[in-house]
Amino acid sequence: MIDALQASWALFHTTYIAGGLIALLLAVIGVWVVARDQIFLGLAVSQASTLGIAVALWLGGLGTGALLDWLGTDEVAAGLAVLASVATALLTARAGGAGRESPEAITGWVYLVAASVAVLLVANSPHGLEEVHRLVFSTLLAASTQDLWVFGALAVVTLAAAARWRSELVLFAMDPEMAAAVGLRTRTWNAAIAIWLGLGVGLSIRVSGMLYTVGCLVLPALIAKNLCREVRPLLAVAPLLALAASLLGFAFAHVFDLPPAHTTVALLCGGLAFAWGLRRLVIR
Amino acid sequence: MHADAVISGRGLELGYPGRKVLRGVDLDVRSGEFWFLLGPNGTGKTTLVRAILGLLPPLRGRIDLHPERARRDRLGFVPQRCELNPALSTRVREFVSLGFVGTRVPAAQRAERLRWALLHSGLEGLERADYWSLSGGQRQRALVARALVRRPGVILLDEPIGGLDVASEEVLLRALSHLNREHGVTIVFVTHQLAIAARYGTHVALFHAGTVEAGPRETILQSAAVERVFGVPVDLRVEGAAAATAAVPQEAP
Repeated sequence: MIDALQASWALFHTTYIAGGLIALLLAVIGVWVVARDQIFLGLAVSQASTLGIAVALWLGGLGTGALLDWLGTDEVAAGLAVLASVATALLTARAGGAGRESPEAITGWVYLVAASVAVLLVANSPHGLEEVHRLVFSTLLAASTQDLWVFGALAVVTLAAAARWRSELVLFAMDPEMAAAVGLRTRTWNAAIAIWLGLGVGLSIRVSGMLYTVGCLVLPALIAKNLCREVRPLLAVAPLLALAASLLGFAFAHVFDLPPAHTTVALLCGGLAFAWGLRRLVIR
Repeated sequence: MHADAVISGRGLELGYPGRKVLRGVDLDVRSGEFWFLLGPNGTGKTTLVRAILGLLPPLRGRIDLHPERARRDRLGFVPQRCELNPALSTRVREFVSLGFVGTRVPAAQRAERLRWALLHSGLEGLERADYWSLSGGQRQRALVARALVRRPGVILLDEPIGGLDVASEEVLLRALSHLNREHGVTIVFVTHQLAIAARYGTHVALFHAGTVEAGPRETILQSAAVERVFGVPVDLRVEGAAAATAAVPQEAP
């Protein structure tokens, strides 16, 4: 496997590094999503960022001119993807409470709106529909050197923050009422985590597509949850599992000529099934 | 604020947008006292606790906390229930250690504090046990231990014995009573149960119709006042200092 990675390194190193950094970044954020039992939120936020990209494609296809040309650029698409996913994460973070709609209902609504409107916006644009399908299909080949810097910085900041505030994060995820009682500013924490989730997913989706993004967000944390006896270690185990799975997935994909994102996600799904089995054995 | 008060409320009006829950509340909780907040559901007991914790700003009046004995990192809180995600594994040790959040306890002292908290909450030897393998009473005591690792000057407990059997309730109350008597921890305990307030409390606050009658137990916990608050006649008998106390609802005439 290492030979396979080495053989393809010269051609695909940007893809491999970007995939690994995205896996690291999302796996840490995913611990929060899994600890709060909000796995569907990851799917909705990803779908919302696809809508953001569809909006950029639709705007770019309205005609010609300096403004419309600019609206059709990759930067605008990335910006709108992040905006849509951050808005979704914030919207669901504020949902719930007496007399208000539940976070699950809001999440489901956002997912369905984003999934339907994204296709409707680009339905009559031959390249637009293709692009939306590409995002849903997932491919890592679109990663650039600039993406490496962006995801590298995000991964380092996320890992450092998780290490520095791990107890606060765990308490807030497990028992928000107690977190507020000991003085954590829960609204600020909620907003900061929602923004970080939206930023991570919104930026990843354009480079790696929906399947890889959602897979790396929830699967490593779910596997770690089944392997660990405590919550704090999840913040270290989940990113390590995500990194290992992505490297293994890329190597398999190269050897057997398979799509890397799908191979990685399939490996993680297999890992989760194995972790479930192992947990059942241990509990017995 | 009285010089020896750890919690002081003056002219308090508490509530939520569009709904006043309490008005005209005056309260002084002094160091080493064991307070019981008593009253029917929805009369504002939890609202007052939330205000003391700083989670609910008063609509009017003010709450003062002693700057040393009741400062934020020396306040312990035991919620009514802890809605953990049951799919998350956690050990007692990790769960209780979350009580250190918001304190500046050096790493070297944490193990010692953890041992002390587990000992005084009756969970000694269970630090490596899975939280989900504990009984209901043990989980409730784990919540108390989580508050104790902060070495609190004041512990606020919001109906911590709801759903516990008599034996678990007794173990928890004895642990709290020990902390109160031997370590001078001030305790504010929300409950519906008159009998335990009559037995363990030094002070009582009766919540009724948006108001609070607060003071020493002997003064406040009178049959007539309790009947007014709960709406049923109650026979309060204290059968010796260490013996059981009865708070028996009587049949209405």
